[in-house]
Amino acid sequence: MAERRDDGAMRKIWAVAFRELRHTVLTKGFIFGALVMPVIMFGAIAAIGMLVGMQMAPVSGKVAIVDQSGRVAEFARAELTPEQVAKDMEERLSRNSEFKSLGTASGAQASTVLPAFDVAVDSVPDASRIDELRAKVQSEELLALVIVPPEALKADPSDAEGNPAAVTLIVPTKSAPRTTAAMERALARAIVKARVTIAGSDYRSINSLMETPPTNVRRISAEGVESDESRITKMLLPMGFMMLIWITTFTSGQYLLTTTIEEKASKVMEVLLSAVSPMQLLCGKILGYAMVSMLMLGIYGALGTTALAAAAMGDLVSPGMVALLVVYFVMSYAFVSTMMASVGSAVNDLREAQSLVTPVMLILTIPLMLWLPISEQPNGMLATVASFIPPAIPFVMVLRVTASSEPIAAWQVAVSIVWGFAWVAIFLWAGAKIFRVGVLMQGKPPTPRELLKWIRMA
Amino acid sequence: MTTAAVRLTSVRKRFGSTEAVRGMDLVVPEGSLTGFIGPNGAGKSTTIRMIMSIIHPDEGSVEVLGSDAIAAKDRIGYLPEERGLYRRMRVTEFLKYMATLKGVPSAGLGARVHAWLERVQLTEAAKKRCQELSKGQQQKIQFIASVIHDPDLIILDEPFSGLDPVNARLLNRLIRDLHAQGRTIIFSTHVMHQAEQLCDRIILINRGEKILDASMPEIHRRFDPRTVLVEPSSHDPAEAARLAGLPGVQRAQWIADRHMAELSVAREADPQVVMRAAIGMIPVRTVELRKTTLDDVFVELVGEAMPASEESGNG
Repeated sequence: MAERRDDGAMRKIWAVAFRELRHTVLTKGFIFGALVMPVIMFGAIAAIGMLVGMQMAPVSGKVAIVDQSGRVAEFARAELTPEQVAKDMEERLSRNSEFKSLGTASGAQASTVLPAFDVAVDSVPDASRIDELRAKVQSEELLALVIVPPEALKADPSDAEGNPAAVTLIVPTKSAPRTTAAMERALARAIVKARVTIAGSDYRSINSLMETPPTNVRRISAEGVESDESRITKMLLPMGFMMLIWITTFTSGQYLLTTTIEEKASKVMEVLLSAVSPMQLLCGKILGYAMVSMLMLGIYGALGTTALAAAAMGDLVSPGMVALLVVYFVMSYAFVSTMMASVGSAVNDLREAQSLVTPVMLILTIPLMLWLPISEQPNGMLATVASFIPPAIPFVMVLRVTASSEPIAAWQVAVSIVWGFAWVAIFLWAGAKIFRVGVLMQGKPPTPRELLKWIRMA
Repeated sequence: MTTAAVRLTSVRKRFGSTEAVRGMDLVVPEGSLTGFIGPNGAGKSTTIRMIMSIIHPDEGSVEVLGSDAIAAKDRIGYLPEERGLYRRMRVTEFLKYMATLKGVPSAGLGARVHAWLERVQLTEAAKKRCQELSKGQQQKIQFIASVIHDPDLIILDEPFSGLDPVNARLLNRLIRDLHAQGRTIIFSTHVMHQAEQLCDRIILINRGEKILDASMPEIHRRFDPRTVLVEPSSHDPAEAARLAGLPGVQRAQWIADRHMAELSVAREADPQVVMRAAIGMIPVRTVELRKTTLDDVFVELVGEAMPASEESGNG
């Protein structure tokens, strides 16, 4: 009779695992959906500023300022230089974003999102020429026409009704909104400078006096550990890490669910069970999709690390944090995969699967719903309690570990790992029993009560 | 004494309140081609699944190829009744995968797959995806998947269903070849003439119990012929009704395509007497005492629950 290898169960488990891996990652759907799309999105976000800058035509021409005092133009010339416009943009970026540490990067970004500036400024004291100048804007001979009412330069810049005296900026229809906004801000600053000068004061010293100081928030723990306050580390980083684990485990879990249902529906299940035991099949499938999950985690993790490094924030993720992330990833994958495989074995189609998966999914959405309060108070009562509810444990712990500006108590981390893996063992035990019975069942899907019966009888 | 390829001892299996197999004792001799027959829900598939260690008995023991069923798994080839393929997998890849699961070393696996595809005249399908094959082609691939690892015991559950006559003949020849090589084959079917034609031994299962376990010659000896075929000279179907009135005739029916009346003889009557009486009653062209078929045995033992075999052509 035939020569046979006698390396037993592990050989079969690996054979199943590699088939699942190959037939998932080598499909167009996976390559495009899980690999190409994130890379495209990442590239698109990185390139978007450059693309915008490349598309904008250079701004070149004359701006006429109708101003009886004749003082605004000199300040406007200084404000409308390319350097000043870029500086304005840089200040805006650093003011509006949380990426305060990205000074260099935002400066570089400012230069890419603004077109080349070459603007000359003409002062027109004669208000009777407004119609003539308006026609020149219309025919695009002028870049813009600015009408500064005399009230705007007074110490009390309001009109007869007490409203703030408005400056009018007239630009051609095709003027890019970003360029128009930059000119608007430059002119506003020029008018303020002119007003201060006319009032006999020194703008530079007044400006210095009015400068609001930056605040360095330092958090000090009960143990005396002091660290920087950073909203990105407290809010966005935890969400990013939790989503990384969520997406990678659930994508694989979904594949596991659908392939198990397919194997039942296409009747290939019984053929497989003639060669492997239900446990070997379950282990092979879980192992195969673990490799799929790890591949995705590797790719997304590398993209994320690259992004953090590019933003000079690589030090936000410590090796200890990465080690804990790996531990919680394994735990979350074990929970999700066991659940999906056992549900897939028990039902005949995806619709039936939804009714069984929904209750567990509700528990798993706890970390998503509680992201904000947990991230803000990672050592609070809510976060502490939520981190011991299976199967949400790994997701909540990832939020806490990455959100906290101070370390989570070591005992809590240790207990969450031991407690979590104890629950993983229970899930695996119950999932394997359901899988053993479910793979051979046809017809009406089981109720949760029947699933419990399967666990007892298998 | 022959060695047992399969030995079930006092095996019981329940599913909820239903007892699918009730204290089954059976032996499938090594090298035999044994037919598992029985009506739907008789317990054949449950018995086979226990031999395959897909499910396990609640009571009793299952011994396969001299060891327990799990240990023998790689030495068994199984073609289930509800068979399937990975639709998007390519034929060669699917067969290699199944062979790998059954412990066939990767060296020479490609050649082995090719040789089998050649044997079933499907070499052109090697690179196709399973979903691109016709139903008959898929069935041949499924058959290869069950024997690619050269099993010592082959279990075929309704292997001919859905095959056209040409492919059925090809499969018949392959099964005979495998049997001639010394493999033990268990052949489960509803189609009695296929079992009768192929098997050297029959195990009839009904309501979870074995009610017949004998070799074909033994069956022919034990169940003496009780069907008389009469061809009236007139070829008139009305003659069947007249013959039904003969003493000892339980039932008579007209077989239109053969212009014959089929008389079922009661157990207490002598078929020879019925034959002579038929000749005395109407002018006849031929009278014959038909050899006992498995169909007859099945009907006698199981009752009239199952419709007559489709090949009898009763009119």
